[in-house]
Amino acid sequence: MRSNNGFYGEYGGQFVPEILIPALDELERAYQEFRNNDESVTEFDRYLSEYAGRPTPVYCAKNISKKYGFHLYLKREDLLHTGAHKINNTIGQALLARFMKKSRVIAETGAGQHGVATATAAALFGLNCRIYMGSLDVERQMPNVKKMKLLGAEVVPVEEGLRTLKDAISASLKDWVTNVTDTHYLLGTVAGPHPFPEMVAYFHAVTGREAAAYFRGKGILPDCVVACVGGGSNAMGIFQGFLDQPDVALVGVEAGGRSLNPGDNAATLSRGTRGIFQGALSYLLQDDHCQVQDVHSVSAGLDYAGIGPQHSFLKDTGRVRYTHVNDGQALDAFHELTRLEGIIPALEPSHALAWTLNHSDELRGKHVLVNLSGRGDKDLGIIERHTREDR
Amino acid sequence: MKGIYLAGGYPDTNTFRDCFHAVATSGFDFIEVGIPFNDPIADGPVIARAIHDSLGNGVTPDQVMNEIHSLRNSNIKKYVMTYANIIYSYGIKKFSDRLTGLLNGIIIPDLPNRMAHLFHENGLDIPIVPFATLETRESDLVMMNRSGSEIVYFIGVRGITGAQSNFESPELVHKIRMIKENTDKKVVIGFGIKTGEDARQALKIGDGFVVGTEAVRRQRDPEALRDYLRSLCQ
Repeated sequence: MRSNNGFYGEYGGQFVPEILIPALDELERAYQEFRNNDESVTEFDRYLSEYAGRPTPVYCAKNISKKYGFHLYLKREDLLHTGAHKINNTIGQALLARFMKKSRVIAETGAGQHGVATATAAALFGLNCRIYMGSLDVERQMPNVKKMKLLGAEVVPVEEGLRTLKDAISASLKDWVTNVTDTHYLLGTVAGPHPFPEMVAYFHAVTGREAAAYFRGKGILPDCVVACVGGGSNAMGIFQGFLDQPDVALVGVEAGGRSLNPGDNAATLSRGTRGIFQGALSYLLQDDHCQVQDVHSVSAGLDYAGIGPQHSFLKDTGRVRYTHVNDGQALDAFHELTRLEGIIPALEPSHALAWTLNHSDELRGKHVLVNLSGRGDKDLGIIERHTREDR
Repeated sequence: MKGIYLAGGYPDTNTFRDCFHAVATSGFDFIEVGIPFNDPIADGPVIARAIHDSLGNGVTPDQVMNEIHSLRNSNIKKYVMTYANIIYSYGIKKFSDRLTGLLNGIIIPDLPNRMAHLFHENGLDIPIVPFATLETRESDLVMMNRSGSEIVYFIGVRGITGAQSNFESPELVHKIRMIKENTDKKVVIGFGIKTGEDARQALKIGDGFVVGTEAVRRQRDPEALRDYLRSLCQ
C-alpha cells in the first residue's frame, strides 16, 4: 500500500527527532531502490522460499467448518521459520541494512516473535543485534528470550513505563538516535515514521499475494478475510491481497482485553482518538490530558496503544471493519483450534479466530479466511496460568 | 543567549516557581518550560524520571500552561518544550490561543523541521524553533530560514538529553559554522552541557546554550539550583 509522500490521508508522517531525518531519507532511498531492482527482489524471494519456508499453505479447517457452519480457511503463517509472519519483514530489512552498509541492527519486541525473527536474520547476515524488550514481556515470553540469546542477540530488558512494547520502541528510538551512523532500526510493525509503514507492509504483502492466488486457483473469492491487529503488520500483509476486491469484507480484530474501560484493553481503533505517537499520526489510546494510555491484553503481541497509520486510514474510509474480542474469547478460540484441528495458534491470531467463531451466524455458509499469523508455543506459560485460574 | 530547561510543575507548584525565579534572576536570557508527555523519546533518564513523577503527581498540560500564565510578568524570554502529541491532541489552535503572546517559541523534539508546517497550517501562531544536528545537511537549511524563531536549537550530540557533547570536535564546529553562514538564526546549543567550562566552550562556538538535565537534577532544591546556575555563568 503506497503512501502519498509518507501519508495515508491525514495519517502517517515522520514525527521523530530531527537527527533521524537523514537516516529515514537514506532508508527510503534504499527501500525504493530495493523494490525497483529485480536482483534484490529475487534475492528476497529466494530467502523467503528456501530459508523461511514460503509459500505457506492455506488450509481448509474441516472440523471447525462443520461445527460452525461456514468454510474456514487458515493462512498458515505459523508454519514459517521462527513461527510467525515476522520473518518476512526481518529478512527484507536485514537485506536493506546490508545494502546500506549498516553493521548493527536493533529492534523492539513485544511477544518476542519479532525479536526472534530479527535475531535470526541478524545471524544469517552477520549483523550485530540488540533487542529491546519490556521487562514484563521478558518474564511473560521467556522461551523467546532464550532463543534470541542463543541466536547471538543481546536482549536488553526495558524497565520504563509499563515495561511492554511501547517502552521497548521508545528505548529502540533512543538507541537509534545515539547510534544512527552504524545502526539500522529494524522496526517490527507497520507503525513508526515513514517509510516504515509502507516498507513493512511491502515486505509482508507476500502473505496476501499467496492467499489471493490460492482462491484464484479455486475459482472463488473469500467472503471475508479476518486478521488480528496489534501494530497491524500481519493484517496489512493479508489485506493487501484483497484491498482492491470490494466484494471481500476485511475485518481487523484488536485486543478487547479485560474490559473496554481505559487501561484494560488495546482496542486502539475502537476506543482511541487521533494522536501523534512513536513517529506517526494515527489513532491512539490516550487520556483526557493527551497522555498515552496504559494498555492490557492477554497477548503480548497485541498490547500496544498505537496502530499503523494505514489501518487508521482504512478505518476512516470504511474499507476495513475494525472490532475487538476480549481475553477470554481469545483463550476459548485458542483451545477450540487446538482440540478440533490439532493446530496450536499464538494468542494473537486466536483473537481473529475468536471473532470468526463468535460470528458464525453472520458468516453461515460463507468462505472465511483467517490469517493464522503465528504458532502458540511461546504462549504455553500464559495458557497454563489461565487454565489454572479457571479451575 | 543562555537558557535553562525546567520540567513544568516539578516537583510541585511552589518549588517549580522558586526554580523559575532562580533562573529569571540569575542572568539567564530564556527559560524552557517542559510540558510533560509520558512517552518522552528524546529525553534521558533524569528528565524522563522528572516527567514521570510529575504525571504521577497529577500534573496536566493545562496546569503547566496556567503556571506559564501566572509567570507572564517575569521579563525572561519563555519557551515551551513539549512533544507533538500534547499540542496536536490538546487542539493545535486551542494550544496556540492559550499561550499566544507569552512565548518566544515552542521546541517540539519529535517534530522535525519538515513537519512543522503542518502545525502552522492548523492554527499554531507561535514560532516553532527549528533543529540542527550533527546530521544536518546544507539542503536542510532552507527550511530553517522559513521559521519565525529567533534561535535554532543545535543538538550537539547523537543521543538523548543528558548525553555528553564534545565541543572541540571538528565535526561540531564545522556544522555550527555552516548554520551560522547560511541562516539568520542564533545558534543555541542544547544537549550535553553540564559545567561552566562546557557553557564557556558553547558560547565560543555558538551564540548560546541550554542546560536541561543538570538543572532538572537540582529542581527539588532551588538553592542548589541557584548555586549551580551561578557556576554556569562564572
